Amino acid sequence: MTVAPARPRPDLGTLLRYRTIDLVTVATLSVAFGVVFWGWNQLYAVITAGLTFGFPPAAAVLGGPWLLAGVVGGLVVRRPGAALATELLAAVVSGLLGNQWGLSVVVSGAVQGIGAEIVLAVLLWRRFGVTVAAWSGAVAGLAGGLYEANLYYSDWDAGWKLAYMGFFALSGAVVAGIGGWVLVRALARTGALDSFGAGREHHAARAV
Amino acid sequence: MRSWLPGANPLALVAAGLLAIPASLAVRDVRTGLVALGAYALVGALLLPSARRALGRVLVVVVGSVSIVYSTWLLGGRDIGTAVAAGLRVCLLAAPGAVLAAYVDPVRLGDQLGQRLHLPARPVTAFTAALQRFEHLGAVWAQLDRARRSRGLGPSRSPVARGRHAASLAFGLLVSAMRGASTQAIAMDARGFATAQHRTWAEPAPWTRRDTAVLLLGAALAAVPVVLHLAG
Repeated sequence: MTVAPARPRPDLGTLLRYRTIDLVTVATLSVAFGVVFWGWNQLYAVITAGLTFGFPPAAAVLGGPWLLAGVVGGLVVRRPGAALATELLAAVVSGLLGNQWGLSVVVSGAVQGIGAEIVLAVLLWRRFGVTVAAWSGAVAGLAGGLYEANLYYSDWDAGWKLAYMGFFALSGAVVAGIGGWVLVRALARTGALDSFGAGREHHAARAV
Repeated sequence: MRSWLPGANPLALVAAGLLAIPASLAVRDVRTGLVALGAYALVGALLLPSARRALGRVLVVVVGSVSIVYSTWLLGGRDIGTAVAAGLRVCLLAAPGAVLAAYVDPVRLGDQLGQRLHLPARPVTAFTAALQRFEHLGAVWAQLDRARRSRGLGPSRSPVARGRHAASLAFGLLVSAMRGASTQAIAMDARGFATAQHRTWAEPAPWTRRDTAVLLLGAALAAVPVVLHLAG
């Protein structure tokens, strides 16, 4: 039994030419996650009420699920901009469905998506392991926390703002990063990702 | 008259909603916040067709900002004026967009983004197409739910079992959506989607005087807190 050698990654120009399936997958993931975000918004409203009145910065622990779209989009499609686009469009969908942040979610989505994208970009869209996923989620959380600390909580003392960002990054690393990686692996197992690197690698590693 | 605003160009509606974001940054005291929100509320009361629908969306925003008032009071020097101003700021940030988003038709928005803003046609079309499968996703959810229940895998009454049931349905839905994406991409490519040189659109994307008026109205409302802030 031999395992086929890993194919060399194509250069950036090739990566930037999205296939139709890449575009449709980014769009489909963003619609699915937009609905998930919308559902999480409802739950969040109930859960934060408790957390806020206990220790307000801890509410950021609940931020992770909103960062899933970027990490999963980046890990599945593996092209420059996929993480940003998935997170941004998912935010747009959740905003159109109606939420407590109005159209400002579009800005939140852009900021969080850029955070997730930065980590993948630094590694030139070549590595998509669990560590990379966790970092991607963490930086997305850091970016989201920075934005929220300055827009929603601009009058908090600086130390509390830092605590908020820290909790957000932690939640991003665990829920969006590791959680997103586990989700992509589970999707690959079903054969739903066979047109993508994640699916091909999964089957190559288990070739008979 | 009551359909004047909801029927406007989705680009103008989105722009009016987004303009509230920079406007909210000018709210640094309670008076500015109240006047700015009052201006939006007045225009909303005159132009929106359904007060109940709009109020429902505003109420969600207000409930969310209560926790901001409390946390700003607790962690920002225990000054009630600052805390209430922070709450009003977030209301102004979110409420106009939350109300206007209800009137945005995604397909019309896609037409405008592609033809008027000239965003790259392939991503715009792919996203609009994915949005149109939205109802299909609802049907798949119901199907998966029925299938699991009829095999005796339905949830018991406990919230944990219901949560697990919902999670497995969500995963099934995601798998189905990804497979649908493959099928859809093949169908689109078979029609020359990837290699088209000259693209045509099924629907026109007009911009009317009403759309300009909505945009100007949005800009004028957004200017209220900025002017108050500068006049100090």
